[in-house]
Amino acid sequence: MSKPSDLVQGTLDLLLLKILALEPLNGFAISQRLKQISGDVLQVSDGSLYPALHKLEQEGWITAEWKLSENNRRAKFYSFTRLGRRQLEKEAGNWDRLSAAISHVLKLKEA
Amino acid sequence: MRLEHWLYTIPLRLRSLFRRNRVEQELDEELQYHFQRKIEENLALGMTKEEARQAARRDFGGFEQSKVECRDMRRVNWLQDALQDLRFALRQLKKTPGFTITVLLTLALGIGANAAIFTLVNSMLLQYLPVADPKTLVRLGDDSDCCVSGGIRDDGKYSLFPTEAYEYLKKNASDFEELAAMQAGFEFRPITVRRDGTQAGARSVMGEFVSGNYLRTFGLRPHAGRLLTDGDDIKGAPMTAVMSYQTWQRDYAGDASVIGSIFWVNTKPVTLVGIGPKGFYGDRMSTTPPDFYLPMEEMPVLANVPYVHDPEARWLYIIGRVKPGTAMGPLQEKISALLRQVLAQRTDYSSEQGKIFLARVHVVLTPGGAGIQDMQERYSSQLHLLMWIAGLVLLIACANIANLLLVRGMARRTELCVRTVLGAKWGRIVLQLLTESVLLALLGGIVGLVVAYAGATMLLKLAFPNAQGLPIHASPSATVIGFTFGLSLLTGVLFGVAPAWIAAQAQPVDALRSGVRTTAAGASRFQRSLVVLQAALSLVLLVGAGLFSQSLSKLRHSDLKLDPKNRYIIHINPQAAGYSQTQLEALYRTMKERFREHPGILKVGISGYTPMEDNNWSEIVWVQGKPNLNAEASWFRANGDYFDSVGTRVVMGRGLAETDTSNSPTVAVVNQEFVRKFFNGENPIGRRFGVRGPGSTADFEIVGVVEDTAYTTVRWKEHRMYFIPMTQRPASWKGPIENDESMYAGAVVLQTERPMNDLEKLVRMTIAGINPNLTVVKFQTFQQQIGDRFNDERMIARLTMLFGALALLLATIGLYGVTAYTVARRTPEIGVRMALGARRSGVIAMVMRSALSQTVIGLVIGLPASALCVRFIKTQLYEVKGVGAGVLVTSIVALAVASCLAGLIPARRAASTDPAQTLRTE
Repeated sequence: MSKPSDLVQGTLDLLLLKILALEPLNGFAISQRLKQISGDVLQVSDGSLYPALHKLEQEGWITAEWKLSENNRRAKFYSFTRLGRRQLEKEAGNWDRLSAAISHVLKLKEA
Repeated sequence: MRLEHWLYTIPLRLRSLFRRNRVEQELDEELQYHFQRKIEENLALGMTKEEARQAARRDFGGFEQSKVECRDMRRVNWLQDALQDLRFALRQLKKTPGFTITVLLTLALGIGANAAIFTLVNSMLLQYLPVADPKTLVRLGDDSDCCVSGGIRDDGKYSLFPTEAYEYLKKNASDFEELAAMQAGFEFRPITVRRDGTQAGARSVMGEFVSGNYLRTFGLRPHAGRLLTDGDDIKGAPMTAVMSYQTWQRDYAGDASVIGSIFWVNTKPVTLVGIGPKGFYGDRMSTTPPDFYLPMEEMPVLANVPYVHDPEARWLYIIGRVKPGTAMGPLQEKISALLRQVLAQRTDYSSEQGKIFLARVHVVLTPGGAGIQDMQERYSSQLHLLMWIAGLVLLIACANIANLLLVRGMARRTELCVRTVLGAKWGRIVLQLLTESVLLALLGGIVGLVVAYAGATMLLKLAFPNAQGLPIHASPSATVIGFTFGLSLLTGVLFGVAPAWIAAQAQPVDALRSGVRTTAAGASRFQRSLVVLQAALSLVLLVGAGLFSQSLSKLRHSDLKLDPKNRYIIHINPQAAGYSQTQLEALYRTMKERFREHPGILKVGISGYTPMEDNNWSEIVWVQGKPNLNAEASWFRANGDYFDSVGTRVVMGRGLAETDTSNSPTVAVVNQEFVRKFFNGENPIGRRFGVRGPGSTADFEIVGVVEDTAYTTVRWKEHRMYFIPMTQRPASWKGPIENDESMYAGAVVLQTERPMNDLEKLVRMTIAGINPNLTVVKFQTFQQQIGDRFNDERMIARLTMLFGALALLLATIGLYGVTAYTVARRTPEIGVRMALGARRSGVIAMVMRSALSQTVIGLVIGLPASALCVRFIKTQLYEVKGVGAGVLVTSIVALAVASCLAGLIPARRAASTDPAQTLRTE
């Protein structure tokens, strides 16, 4: 099982923000969504998902609310904030620059 | 952006702090939900219940660890730690009340004394006037030259200006937005005011004559009504005045109907047009700030003075507001040039000699935002001295605190080491010790503020016992509170952390080794040096206190050549009561007769001013048949009873007499110093002199010589004086009699048969009976008037004594602390000694020897230090040349007695050690 430190620093934040940008979700649903979209490439242990979510919440990027879940039980739902949108744009931009730079370097090597 | 961030995060942080249980519960619930869903999912995949649980647990990783990580995300741990530290620190302080109280008292006294002095320093030396934008105010001039001067000033430096020069500068100095002028010596010229249509009698209050733009220059808004304008300051305009807010509240209870009403100012009707802003106390700090502001064009009419439009009379201070971006250097040149231009038109500056003086004429520009610095200059050296002394006391207090905390740190070494061994991080330990010091410091600061308030109240009472409206308050301002807590934090942290640090560095092994045995190394060398330092500093302060007391005693016991017994001084102001010079002779006769009617009143002296008060007029004396010495002599007018009434003895010839009237030959009585200077000891009786230049030498015939009674101040030696009758005018005094202000009496001196406690009422009635507009400016016994002149010296002597005692007390506590600590550490050793046959007296001697040795070293250092410090206070001492044996012996004895006391208590405790007990514990 991979640890979060295996992910590039800040990538988990980016992924969580992106997922929550689509719709408000509870923790369990987020972990399922993560697996769903990234397949086996990015694995996040359930135990490290919550500290990451709490961090985003304490930064004010996402906000939490207790609601009834799809199976009619009380669950903590996270949703996106205005600050979160700004953060997502910033981190996505960073990511684009970083990945572009890296793939550029890699292409140089091939040539 | 930031704001929005806080909008989200602050409620979260608060929730984490104050709804901790709820947050914890939610965290658990959230993770449990996830866990349950996982199990359900696994069950759906066909696992058994047990397998599903285990798989879920495996997938999740550490459940508790995840919780801890979530908690760490809350960012409030530090605060929770701090609260914990605070609770612990409070418990620790409560556990050792003796230590806590000693530290708090030491801190409070040390810091309180400093804060009290700082309250004064802050409000006197560091404050701007309460006016708009004080930084752009500039004063023309840099000294407190006062009040009305004539002629040419040799050095050419102008701080005091004639009206004509002011008007010229105002018109031509284009760099100033406003240029305002104000009466320099208003404090010496009270006005008599009575509100029209009321029963209230006339009263003597302060009035300052100012230019029409004065209040506008300071950017003030009226509290009610309007302020003065240029239109009020025109000759012949309806007479107006503005009252200060303070006076309005104090004397008229804030009655709005005074605005627009008529006030009889020096018997002339003046309309009150408005009330000045709250808090404004004029252009300078004063114990008697102006009650009324009056346009200076009203002054010739109201005050009946000749100098307002005399181009040679300097009587105005000038403060202006410069335009933004004006450079001071070039402006100073420009103003000086303008001043030379206007003065060049005067005859006295047109002569050959005058032109040389004209070239020297200049103005020094100084910042005007704090107003005229008269009082600041007067008190600055004393305030600085007090600051130094308070600083030394604080140093002693700091040494005490360092010592106490060091002792405590040592005592807690075991505890700290155990904590280290059990795995506490040193950062956490230091932080906890820091919390304790800061807590102590803050508590000390709070008590210190109380001490500061009490101290400042006392200081103000000591410094200004007669002040009416002094704009200085004892209640601490924000600056003072900041200063106090800053100082206490600095002291607490600096002297708290260093010992904590030393203690925290200890090797755990040392502490765990039980039963620390030591002999002489009970207290560290550092601790002993602190005690030595304290002893030395206390000696310096005690010697200083002794010197100031000696100086005061010399002042008080100096022979003033007067007799204050059963004498009363009443200051009056006939000029403000509307008397013209020609009516004065009759007035003085009436006054004398009316007072003499009362049984018990022996003599009724009437004079310009009296011994030991802050007033002085002087002129250059020209003696007939002798070369001019270019020397001045002070003078005033007096009546026949005057010398007897103040107790000045006539040593040759006669005193002034009732027969010296305006019609009799002009005579003068001179003092012995006058004879010494101008006659070299020759018999002066029958000789003549004058004060109006070489042509006036026949003016006065000397008919008598009196003793050198002390006028103005005891420190004024070689004070030459002459006295002339109340109403005589010699031949060379050509000016109209209406301009001769010297004929107005300033004081009546009554000599009575016995002390008369009800005299004041009688005096007020008698004076009001002569003329209701004649007011009593001040009523005092002669003794009180003399006492007032020693006020500053008395204050300094008392304060240095107080600080000396405080220093001694703190040093004693310090020595006691260190000795007691040493004794406690050495108890086992002392027990063994006694078991081996040492006597009680031997033990006491041993402890005392070590305690006193520190005092002796302190003395050895303190003695030369005191001798050195005397040099800095010499100018403030009166006839005290150096440290005398008396002062020295007293200081040393005080220190020795205090040290013995501090040593004796622990020594007796050491001697009462029970050898058997000690041996058992060993």
